[in-house]
Amino acid sequence: MMRTIEVFLVILIITAAFILSSFFAVLPQPRQVSPLNLRRLALTTLQTLDVNYDLSGTAFKSPNDPAWGQLQIALSACLPPNLVYNLTVYEVLSGGTQLYTPIHSISNAASLGVSSDASSYLVASSNVTFSVTPEKIGERGGGGTLYILNCSDANGWWITGYTGQSLAGDLYKLLSPYFKTTIMLQNTTQLAKILNGTSIQGETLRNATVINTVGEAVPIPSGYYASSGVGYDATHSSYARYCYVLGQKVRQYNWTWVSIVGYPVYYVSNTGLFPNEQNTWGIYGMRLVGAAGLNAFLQGIDNQAYSYNTNWITGEPGVVYLSSEALYYCNYYGIYPSPYQTSTRALPDSILTTYHLTATSYIFNPVNHWIAGAVYKNRVSGLFLALGLTRTPDIRLTGLGLLCAFKPRLYRSEYTASGTSRLVILQLGQVGGV
Amino acid sequence: MTGSTIDHLVSLMVFLGAILLFMGLFNQTIQTAILYQRHRALATKCSDLLDNMLLNPGVPLDWGKSNCTPTGFGLQDPEFTQYRLSPFSLMRLMSSTGSPVYYPKTGLTYSNITMGFGNFLLVPYTKAINYSTAARLLGTNGTYGFQLTITPIVTVSISETQPKNPLKISVQVAGKGFPLSNAVVSYCFLTVSLTGGEGAYPAYTIKYGNTTTDAKGSVLLEFAEVKDDKVCYAFIAYAHLSGLMGVGYHERVTSDKQYIVPFIDDLALRRVLIAHSYDVHYFEPPNAALSYNATFVLLTEDFTLREMPMENSTGKTGRVNYGVGWPYGVVTIPTYNPGILVITYRKSAVEGGIILMPWGISSMAFPISFGGDPIGKEWVATDIRQVLVNSIAYQAKLALWSLQGYQVIG
Repeated sequence: MMRTIEVFLVILIITAAFILSSFFAVLPQPRQVSPLNLRRLALTTLQTLDVNYDLSGTAFKSPNDPAWGQLQIALSACLPPNLVYNLTVYEVLSGGTQLYTPIHSISNAASLGVSSDASSYLVASSNVTFSVTPEKIGERGGGGTLYILNCSDANGWWITGYTGQSLAGDLYKLLSPYFKTTIMLQNTTQLAKILNGTSIQGETLRNATVINTVGEAVPIPSGYYASSGVGYDATHSSYARYCYVLGQKVRQYNWTWVSIVGYPVYYVSNTGLFPNEQNTWGIYGMRLVGAAGLNAFLQGIDNQAYSYNTNWITGEPGVVYLSSEALYYCNYYGIYPSPYQTSTRALPDSILTTYHLTATSYIFNPVNHWIAGAVYKNRVSGLFLALGLTRTPDIRLTGLGLLCAFKPRLYRSEYTASGTSRLVILQLGQVGGV
Repeated sequence: MTGSTIDHLVSLMVFLGAILLFMGLFNQTIQTAILYQRHRALATKCSDLLDNMLLNPGVPLDWGKSNCTPTGFGLQDPEFTQYRLSPFSLMRLMSSTGSPVYYPKTGLTYSNITMGFGNFLLVPYTKAINYSTAARLLGTNGTYGFQLTITPIVTVSISETQPKNPLKISVQVAGKGFPLSNAVVSYCFLTVSLTGGEGAYPAYTIKYGNTTTDAKGSVLLEFAEVKDDKVCYAFIAYAHLSGLMGVGYHERVTSDKQYIVPFIDDLALRRVLIAHSYDVHYFEPPNAALSYNATFVLLTEDFTLREMPMENSTGKTGRVNYGVGWPYGVVTIPTYNPGILVITYRKSAVEGGIILMPWGISSMAFPISFGGDPIGKEWVATDIRQVLVNSIAYQAKLALWSLQGYQVIG
C-alpha cells in the first residue's frame, strides 16, 4: 500500500512540476512570434518620403509651415492602418554635451501600442554643399606626376570626333585633382625632353604617368629619337624601334604608360617629320608601324633584345563588361561610363608570361584569353595601361583605369556640421490584432 | 506477501502509466516551443529574403532589359542604391494572378498583368521569369515557398461623372486608407479622331494640365471640348505629395469587341507586337480590320507628362486583322525610359478606341503578384517594405512559408 501511496506522491510532484512549467512556458502572441520588421519599414518609409528631397526640405522648415501637414498626410497615407507613428526631427549640434535637440514632432496616436521600433535618417539642408578632397597620387611612395601628351605637332587616329588636344583637356579636368603635378606636354620636343630624363618644370620624373591622347598613334620627336639605330629600324624601314625605346624608358623611369583606345603604338606621328607621309588612311604627318610597334614596346618594357616582329597579337572578344573592381570604383569616384563596351583590340593573356607582366587591376572582365582593359606591371619596373576598345575613346574609362590602379582616397567634408544636418526619427507601433 | 506483490504491481503500473502520460504532456510543451522557434526563424528568414530580393539587382545587372535568364535573382534598379526597384525586372516576373493569354500567331503563351479593359501588359512565358527559376536562384527551392506582392501605395481612381457637354472626370487620390489632400495632379488627356476615309489611321490630340486635390483627396475636371459621348479618349493622371506618387488611368472606347492587343515581343530590342483582338479571343466574322496609330508618353522630372515622338520607321502606324494572311504589326519603343505606349485604333468612322500599355511596370502603377499561393499553408510569415519603382511609391510584401512540414505531432 505504501508503494502505491508513494507513486501517487510522485505523480503529484510531477503534476505540480508540469503545471509550474506550463505556467512559465507561455507561448507568445503570434505578433511576437512572427513580427513585422518595423525598423526596416520605418527606414524605407523615410527613404520613400525623401525620394525627391521632400522630407529634407520639410525638416528644415519652421513648425508652422504647411509642408508639415502635407508630410503628415503622406505619412498616414503610406503606412498600413494598423500602424501608428511618431516622427521627430532633431537639430544636430556640434560640441557640447547635448548632441541632438528636438525641433518638431508629428504623431497620429497618444501611445505607440504594445510593440514599437524606430529608424533614424539624416537629412541635409539644401543650402549645404559638401566638398571632397582627393588624396594626391604620389603623396605616399613618390612620383605623382601626370604627363598628358597634348602635342600640337602630332595627329591622332581612332579618336574620331575628337582631337588629341581636346581629349588632353578633358583628361586634365578629370585627373589633375588626383596628381601632385600635371603637365601637358605641348609638343614632341617636350616629349623628347622627358624621354631624356629632364623634367619640364622641376617635377618628379620617376614613377610618373604618361597618357597618350592620340589614340593608336604615338608622338615621335624628330632628331635623336627618329634617327637610325635609335628610333628607326633601317633594316625594316620601320619606326618600331622607337616603340622599343619608349618601352625601355617606361621601364627605366618606372612610368605608367597609358594607351586610351585601339591597338597601342600602331602609328608614329609628327607633322614636321612626316609632312608628306600618311598612315595609309589619308592622315598626313603620320606613319604606319603596324603590329611590330606593340611587340617592340613590350620587349622594351621587359628589357628583352629588340627584334622586329609583325605578328598581330590582339583579338576581338566583342562586348566586354566592367569588372567588379571597376564598378566599385565607379561609385567611389563618381565616374560612370557605360558598363559594357565593344572590344576589338584586346590583348592576349599570353603577354603576361612572354613579357613577365602581372595584371594588377582588370578594368574589364577577361573574355576567354582576351583582356580588353587592364593595368599591367612588369616584374622589375614599368606599368602599362591598355584599353583595347574600338573607337571612339571614352576618356572616363582611362580615368577609371588609372584610379583603379592607384586608388587615391577621397576625404569628404564633415557631414554633421552644425546647422546643416537634421536627424529624423520615425517610430512605428502596432495596434490591434494579436 | 501477496498483498505486498499486488502493491508493487499496482504501484508500478500506475507509475508507468503516469510517466507515459507526463512524457506525452511534456513532449507537447517541447514541440510547441520548437515550433515557436521555427516560426520565429521563418519570420527572420522572411525579412532577410525580402531584403535579398530588393537590395540586389541580380546577375547580370540589366537582366530586366534583356531577354536572358538571370543567373542571380534581384529586383533592385542597377542605377540606384537602397530600395529602388527596376521597373523592367518587375515586368519580367510571371504573374501568379492573371490568366495566361495564348496568341496563335506567335504560338506563345503570355503572362498577363492586365488591369481591366484597355490596360494591357502581356509578356511571353519564354521571356518571363517563373516562380521555380526565382526560387532556385534564391536558394529556397524545396525548402521555402514564397509570394511576393508589389502594390502601389497611392491609388488614383478615375471615373467619368458626365459623358459630354462638358465631359466631367472625377479623380480620387488616396493612400493606404487615407486620402491625399492637396496632392498635385498632373494629367494627360488624349482624344481620338476617327475621321478620314476607309482605312485611315486614327489621329489624336493630347492636352496636358495640372490641378490639386481638395481636402478629401478628390478633384473634378471638365473638358468642354468633348461634346459627344462617342468621343474616345484616355485620361492618365499622376498624383504626388511629399514624395509619394501614384498613377491612374481611364479610357472610353466605342469599339470594345474589336480592339488592339499589344504583346511584348523582345525586351532587348524594345519590340511590341500589335495584334487584333479576334486573334486572341476567337470571335467570329465579320471581317474587321483595324488601323492603329501608336505614340509614347513619359513622365518628366518636373512631374509632367510629355509625348516622345516616334519615328515612322518604328512602325507607329499600321493595319491589322484577324486570321490567316494578316500578320501582326510591330512597334519599336524608342527608349528605355519608363513610359506608356498609347495605341489609338479605328475600325470605322464611328468605332474606335484607345489602349494603353506600360513600358516599365511603374508607368501605370501596375501591381504584380509573383510566386506561390500561401492559402492553406501551416504558418505564413510576412514582412513589408516601402519601395520606389521609378519614383512611384510601392509596398513590397513577402509571404514566406516552409515546405519542409514541421506540424506538431501528438
